[in-house]
Amino acid sequence: MRCEVLFPEVCHLCGDGMNIRYLRQSCEAVEVIETPLNSRPVFLDGGVDLVYLGSATEDGLRRIVASLLPYRQEIEQRIDEGQWMLLTGNALDALGEYVDCDDGWRLDGLGLLPTHAEYHMMDRHNSFFLGTFEDGDFSTEIVGFKSLFGHTYGAGQEDPLFTLVRGVGRYPGCGVEGFRRNHLMATYLTGPLLILNPPFTGWLLRQLGCDGAPAFEEAAMENYRRRLEEFHDLHRDPLY
Amino acid sequence: MRMGKLRFLLALWAAKLSIPALKITRHNGTDFPGFLALKLCPDFLRYAGKPDTVVAVTGTNGKTTVSNMLSDALEALGHRVLTNRAGSNIISGISTAFVRNCDLLGRVRRCDIAVLEVDERSSPRIYPHVKPDLVVLTNLFRDSIMRNAHPYYIADILTRSIPAGAKLILNADDLISCSVCPDNARAYFGVGRMESDVTDCVNLIDDVRICPCCGGKLTYAYRRYHHIGKARCDACGFASPESDYLARQVDLSGRTMTVQEGESSFAYRLSSDSIFNAYNTLSVVAALRQLGYEHEKIVPVLENITVSSSRHSEETVGKVRLIRQMSKEKNALAGSRAFDYIAGRAGRKELLLMMNCLGDTRHWSENTCWIFDADFEFLNDPSIVQIVCAGARCRDYKLRLLMAGVPEDRILCEDDEFRAAERLSYTPGDDVYLLYGTDSLERAYRVYDRMKAYALERAQADEEANA
Ligand SMILES: [Zn+2]
Repeated sequence: MRCEVLFPEVCHLCGDGMNIRYLRQSCEAVEVIETPLNSRPVFLDGGVDLVYLGSATEDGLRRIVASLLPYRQEIEQRIDEGQWMLLTGNALDALGEYVDCDDGWRLDGLGLLPTHAEYHMMDRHNSFFLGTFEDGDFSTEIVGFKSLFGHTYGAGQEDPLFTLVRGVGRYPGCGVEGFRRNHLMATYLTGPLLILNPPFTGWLLRQLGCDGAPAFEEAAMENYRRRLEEFHDLHRDPLY
Repeated sequence: MRMGKLRFLLALWAAKLSIPALKITRHNGTDFPGFLALKLCPDFLRYAGKPDTVVAVTGTNGKTTVSNMLSDALEALGHRVLTNRAGSNIISGISTAFVRNCDLLGRVRRCDIAVLEVDERSSPRIYPHVKPDLVVLTNLFRDSIMRNAHPYYIADILTRSIPAGAKLILNADDLISCSVCPDNARAYFGVGRMESDVTDCVNLIDDVRICPCCGGKLTYAYRRYHHIGKARCDACGFASPESDYLARQVDLSGRTMTVQEGESSFAYRLSSDSIFNAYNTLSVVAALRQLGYEHEKIVPVLENITVSSSRHSEETVGKVRLIRQMSKEKNALAGSRAFDYIAGRAGRKELLLMMNCLGDTRHWSENTCWIFDADFEFLNDPSIVQIVCAGARCRDYKLRLLMAGVPEDRILCEDDEFRAAERLSYTPGDDVYLLYGTDSLERAYRVYDRMKAYALERAQADEEANA
């Protein structure tokens, strides 16, 4: 199984890179290829099972968009053909329509997701997230964290990745989180999404043709169960 | 008298009156006077008198140590220094320092220089009113992602808020610091190549991988840790700046270094064996040089300054050495540096990890992203024979340690920190570490007392067994 990590030189915030290490530890057959900025993504020519894009700085987002823009049509075609892609944290914003920032900065995204972000640079949003993920007969609870400069607006409740149980969805008041477009999955949840959610990781591994269980499954499941308990505890406010 | 000034004076008097009241209620260490002054007069700092010279000390790590060393040195050199060392480094703490040092008309007459430790994120509220002549920027690293996002965000805040007239004293080995206020006057300090340096990054956090000018890949002539080192871009020729004050022959175990300035070199003593201490001392030397003091004057002054450390302490208890090592919560870099330091020391080690944020444990649930940015891999070392993970996040630590390759039989999990202290082995001859955060300080000290008792118990049992 081949996993392409896009732009590790800028997409390395929030512990995001560990998602891929966890996949590798879960499945011996995982081969990781790293594609630097300003080079043609390998998945465009096929043979890649999962494409991963993680959190970056604002300047990093600009560089991501600049690197992918020449391939926008091809990327869209690959998505429509069913390419598996996972985006965590603000990587989602690179694929949205644009980012508007209250300090005057603006970034036009790739426009592959029908949404735009609004950043407030002196008002960082921190919350924990509890939601559900469903795919056919499979469903699981999802736990995670948000630590972002803002939210994403404009898409209403269409094509979500997760359904909100507690915390904040795409934007305050929205009942869903993230986006799913065919096999493209994008979520604002930062960092170790796969490590914190072994059932989801198990599902993803199966989709990618790996029959192994998530690595360190017992420790991961115990950790997951305890975090679920904490996130369900109504004495804890999801907003930091 | 203008309204603003009148309001300032009323705020000042009220704040000054609160000081004896706080003493009676034993709250004299707080920021309350400044907090009150700001409540009554939001631009209190604008009207407060300023000493002739203002030095601000900021940066991710070392700012408390550097500002304390610098103000001690200036006092020893005959200055009367206004500092915020008794309070916090945010606007209320700095305002408190001015409340205490202003006379009833709001003038600062007792002090001729201010050394202010300034929280990076608080800069936009402070520098418009307290305009520093010198800004010592120790370094910019990744800190809490919740508050500080990433270090370029902090660099941007500093660039927007430090006044054009301030001269910066910057760490040449840290390209993120170097990017701050590109148009301001600046002087650089740095530590030349050390034997322990590498070229490829061994750390998970490596925030300067591409050229800030052209985006090309940077290559490092040497790298100390993370992005600290000497880099250059082959594509456009961009390179780390040369240091005006360059530390060479840094001998951490011998606690000496040489500072080279131009053609001349001067020998300095270091008060501890950590590389951070070398950087801190060097930045103080640079600041004092910029304030006009000769090395011959600085050397003896620094020899007499003791750096008190609440971050690290060691003592022999029973048959083990107990070591308290602070590792700030939610801070991957602090963890990585502590783990690296511990792994590199001689001897067998037992560890108790309790860096989780106790405040979050009660009301929220700690964001654990930092754990996946921290180099737990350093703890995968045969010399570290036991790791007891404690507190609400113990299962997160355990999973992370497993991912780092630490054998499962070396890891124990315990929700209760005091129970965790009991589960350490205290094997005679071992170094037993307690890693704790700033938020868990009070509980950590109590856990440490418990560790002491267990260490003694274990030593006694050992004696009896041998008798
Ligand atoms: Zn360049």
